Amino acid sequence: MIQVENLVKRYRDRVAVDGLSFEVKEGEILGFLGPNGAGKSTTMRMLTGCLPATSGTAKVAGFDVFEHPLEVKRRVGYLPELPPLYVDMTVRDYLRFVARLKGVPRKKQKDEVDRVAGLASVTGIIDRVIANVSKGYKQRVGLAQALLGDPAVLVLDEPTVGLDPQQILEVRGLIKSLAGKHTIILSTHILPEVTATCQKVLILNHGKMAAYDDLTLLTEKYKEATRDVSLEEVFIKLTAA
Amino acid sequence: MRNTLAIARKELNVYFTTPMAYVMFCCTTVISSYMFIAFIQQYTRYSIYAMKAPQMIDPTRLNLTDLVMAPLVGNIGIIFVFVMPFLTMRLLAEEKRQHTMELLMTTPVRPTEIVLGKFLACFGVVALTVGFTLLYPAMLQLYGGSAGAGAPVEWRTVFSGYLGLLGWGAATVAIGLFVSSLTENQAVAALVTFAVLLLTWLAGLVGHGAGEALQQVSNDLSSITHLRGMAGGEIALKDLLYFASLTVLGLFLTQRAIESQRWS
Repeated sequence: MIQVENLVKRYRDRVAVDGLSFEVKEGEILGFLGPNGAGKSTTMRMLTGCLPATSGTAKVAGFDVFEHPLEVKRRVGYLPELPPLYVDMTVRDYLRFVARLKGVPRKKQKDEVDRVAGLASVTGIIDRVIANVSKGYKQRVGLAQALLGDPAVLVLDEPTVGLDPQQILEVRGLIKSLAGKHTIILSTHILPEVTATCQKVLILNHGKMAAYDDLTLLTEKYKEATRDVSLEEVFIKLTAA
Repeated sequence: MRNTLAIARKELNVYFTTPMAYVMFCCTTVISSYMFIAFIQQYTRYSIYAMKAPQMIDPTRLNLTDLVMAPLVGNIGIIFVFVMPFLTMRLLAEEKRQHTMELLMTTPVRPTEIVLGKFLACFGVVALTVGFTLLYPAMLQLYGGSAGAGAPVEWRTVFSGYLGLLGWGAATVAIGLFVSSLTENQAVAALVTFAVLLLTWLAGLVGHGAGEALQQVSNDLSSITHLRGMAGGEIALKDLLYFASLTVLGLFLTQRAIESQRWS
């Protein structure tokens, strides 16, 4: 579903993403791990057509992100690091607006907005102005926005930031339930989140791929003679350098 | 097209749910009403002079259209130079600052649709503002007549002046939109837009005292020349073309500015 080959992003003197290649199959959840500034968000922004790559290619559903941006954008739901909200609008107006932009047919817009509001549990605040709701709700409105139009691919940049423990569990449950139907890339630096939701893990460090494997295989690989290791230990080992 | 309308609708929603549109209507009508009264008073003074000394001022040349409406349309054009930057400054600068540009860039919307949607909404507010000022010729029509003197207002001239105002309005919106696409700081967008609009207004000054050719060129570059021409009742192709090309140029540059974010 997603193929990335030798993706590079260079800002004047700094290399943010350095020769990244990976592939996500349909229905898989890939966990993007890495310390702050490792290039997680940059990679996601390149995948969604928000930011052009310096070199390399990224394809979503067979369409090159740079050559056929509209085809890619029709198939991708994206939750950026900072949820892109119009704070002067009510949640309902905002979701309606995004549904229109995503080309949801007029007659289905209302049902679609209700559906994603239900999924992201924002039904209770749907008629409130976004500026007045809490950070956790803002984050979930951003998530609802990504789910609009039922896109085949979801790119979620730290979807549980700003949520309380109860909400974190809910959102993880939601993401897990979306697996199979959707292909998902999820970035986070909360390690248990990856263990809880993802099958595959990609660890980024300074823009370079430090590890890319099945979750179980990864912990297997770094297993020590005497005991099992957690993902956390693997992560620290790989990103310490 | 659908996306254009969706964006226009959202922008209009913002203009009318925040105080922006109402403040715009209020400021423009208050200032132009003040000018309207001033021109009426001037007209009254001229009428009295004309009665006292008909050899100095020809009374048959005194009319409300030429002495009130034409200069008023020109002055509303100047008001635009001051108020438009505030109307256009947030259009794209705000999207960047609030990171909602990422939303527009990752939904299947073309840059052209973003530009046209924003332009239409903003121009809608401008057109409504211009609509409010139709009160002045309406008042002249109602109360400015005298028995046996014919219609107090020549509506064809008024129409041509208002067409000029709409043209100038469209041009200012397009210029403001472009400047707004270059920065995420709204104050900077407003200030630069103001400077650009004022420069087009003052362009004619450069040519004063220069050669005839240069004077002609600088006059034709100046927006005031074209608005004055139309306010005087002459719908000339060159004036319409001037406003149309400023508008198209502004929109085209905005489209390029947004498109370029995808490339660099």
